[in-house]
Amino acid sequence: MKLLVIEDEQGIRENIINYFSEDGNICESCDCLHAAIDKLAVFDYDCILLDIGLPDGEGFAVLEYLQKQMKNEAVLIISARNSLDDKLKGLNVGADDYVTKPFHLAELKARVVAIYRRKTSSHNNNLIFNEISINLLGRTVHVNQTSIILTRKEYDMLLYFIANKGKVISKNALAEHLWGDEMDMHNNFDFIYTHIKNLRKKLLDANSNDYLKSIYGIGYKFMAE
Amino acid sequence: MRLSAHYNKTIIVIAISVLLTGAVIYYFAINYIARTQLDRDLTEEIDEVLDYVKLNHQLPRQVDFDEDVTVFTKTDLKYLPRRFFDTVYINPKGKKSEAGRAVSGLIYLKDGNYKVAITISREDTEYLVQIIAAITLLLMVCLLLILFLTNRYILKGLWRPFYDTLYAIKAFNVSDNRNLDLKPNKVDEFSELNTSVHTMSTRVKNDFQNLKQFTENASHEMLTPLAVITSKLDTLIQDETIKPELYDQINDIYAATSKLSRLNQSLLLLVKIENNLIDDVEWIDLNILISEKIKLFNDLISAKHINITEKLEPKKVWVSKHLIDILLNNLFSNAIRHNVYHGELIIKLTAEKLSFQNSGSDKLLNGETIFERFHKGNKSEGAGLGLAIVKNICSIYKWHIYYGYLNSLHAFQIVFPGDRDSL
Repeated sequence: MKLLVIEDEQGIRENIINYFSEDGNICESCDCLHAAIDKLAVFDYDCILLDIGLPDGEGFAVLEYLQKQMKNEAVLIISARNSLDDKLKGLNVGADDYVTKPFHLAELKARVVAIYRRKTSSHNNNLIFNEISINLLGRTVHVNQTSIILTRKEYDMLLYFIANKGKVISKNALAEHLWGDEMDMHNNFDFIYTHIKNLRKKLLDANSNDYLKSIYGIGYKFMAE
Repeated sequence: MRLSAHYNKTIIVIAISVLLTGAVIYYFAINYIARTQLDRDLTEEIDEVLDYVKLNHQLPRQVDFDEDVTVFTKTDLKYLPRRFFDTVYINPKGKKSEAGRAVSGLIYLKDGNYKVAITISREDTEYLVQIIAAITLLLMVCLLLILFLTNRYILKGLWRPFYDTLYAIKAFNVSDNRNLDLKPNKVDEFSELNTSVHTMSTRVKNDFQNLKQFTENASHEMLTPLAVITSKLDTLIQDETIKPELYDQINDIYAATSKLSRLNQSLLLLVKIENNLIDDVEWIDLNILISEKIKLFNDLISAKHINITEKLEPKKVWVSKHLIDILLNNLFSNAIRHNVYHGELIIKLTAEKLSFQNSGSDKLLNGETIFERFHKGNKSEGAGLGLAIVKNICSIYKWHIYYGYLNSLHAFQIVFPGDRDSL
């Protein structure tokens, strides 16, 4: 997947590139509207991560440019503004999704993967990871042709892990993904463990490899190999 | 009291007092003029009598003076000044007594001194005064009536633009994009008023826009560093050579960051609610929404082994989905966060009220301060904004929220107003 990160904050930009690159993705970046348009004029990308508040203008200009040039990049807006107006405006001008700062890199990755998948494989709704096969439309999961029944939370969790395979995911990020950031967890993540345990058990029962690894004290990792 | 009423009152008081004073002065003036006239007549009469006496050296006969009553009486007085006085006049024909005016004087004859008194009727002048008084009274009543009607109908029309402007100001809403609807006016004062109101509203709107911009910018500036911290932490934990002892530190930073971003969002939300910026209202089935929330919070509830009891009757409310979500989230979070292990949570919804009862610390909380911003309990880990937001959301929809402590349960009760149209 070829990505363009348009973000003026150097710290965030570097971390995003760092996080996304390891997966065999090609990441390019720029820090202002002007440079972004220049790049888009020359190259094609699969997905664009777009910050709305840029030093030389609002990121909406990029969306308008894409629309005018009939380019078909998937766009994920990153905004510090949690206002509904901005969100609707962004989605109306052709963005595919919208995340609000601060976000977890794992969340960003999961969303990018999801919109990229939606945009590219409309005819193929199967996500395959080694022996695990997921039908995204039917929300069904098979391991080695054995069907397993997952609850909604377990299913969401599995997709999230596969999108972030090989990465350590903090409990914080996982909880926010599954329960939304409106719900205050009071930093009590004990109940996540129950869901993880159940998911792991169901996968193992279907003779899958043991991918889920607990990183003591901080979170979980879905092993990539 | 309306301006026209004030004006009416003043005008009527002034008019009545001026007219009354005028009437009194008028009465005395007319009386004085009439009396002078009478006295002049009497002087003429008495002079005639004196001339007659001087010429004929005898008293005249009564018949010489038709309407007047002339009386001669013998007197011993040597001297008597001419004197005018009011008296009773007896009409010689009608034998009727009337108000009269008389003059008295002294006549010197050979056989002695005579006192002469001539009396004439004052009836005619009295009558004149009465007619004048009646006309004055009539004029006064007419004047008052006209003033009253003028005030009532003409003033109302004159002040119409003022009330239009007032109405426009009342309907003014800073967060509204529309400008004030002020009609142009021919009256200088009103058009000046309209111009000032227009200028003021524009300025207020600009200030409001600036404030909104400022709040948004401030939030942007705060959220970006938070995003940097989060992404750095997410990157940091990828390094598997980190000692497990450091994980605790990292977890604390995660917790602080998420608390800070939540705080920031809460503050923004409070500003938005207080400025009535959220108005995407729709009918919401509160009972269905609460059931969904119970499912959502189920993990948190069962993690604390809280026993939940729900009694939900159907209830529809006309609210913003976004706000009611936040309201319920905050109430649930609150009831779970401050609950004890193996505690109770009772949720009741009826057409009149919604109540959340939960076990917790066995101390009554201060119902006055509990809804204030940044007020938190001793062991609370929240920012202290949750209940302030709940209270603000309630007040937009004119719901009343109460806190109580009964049977060792803390209770938050939201009472919906009886009249649904007032929502």
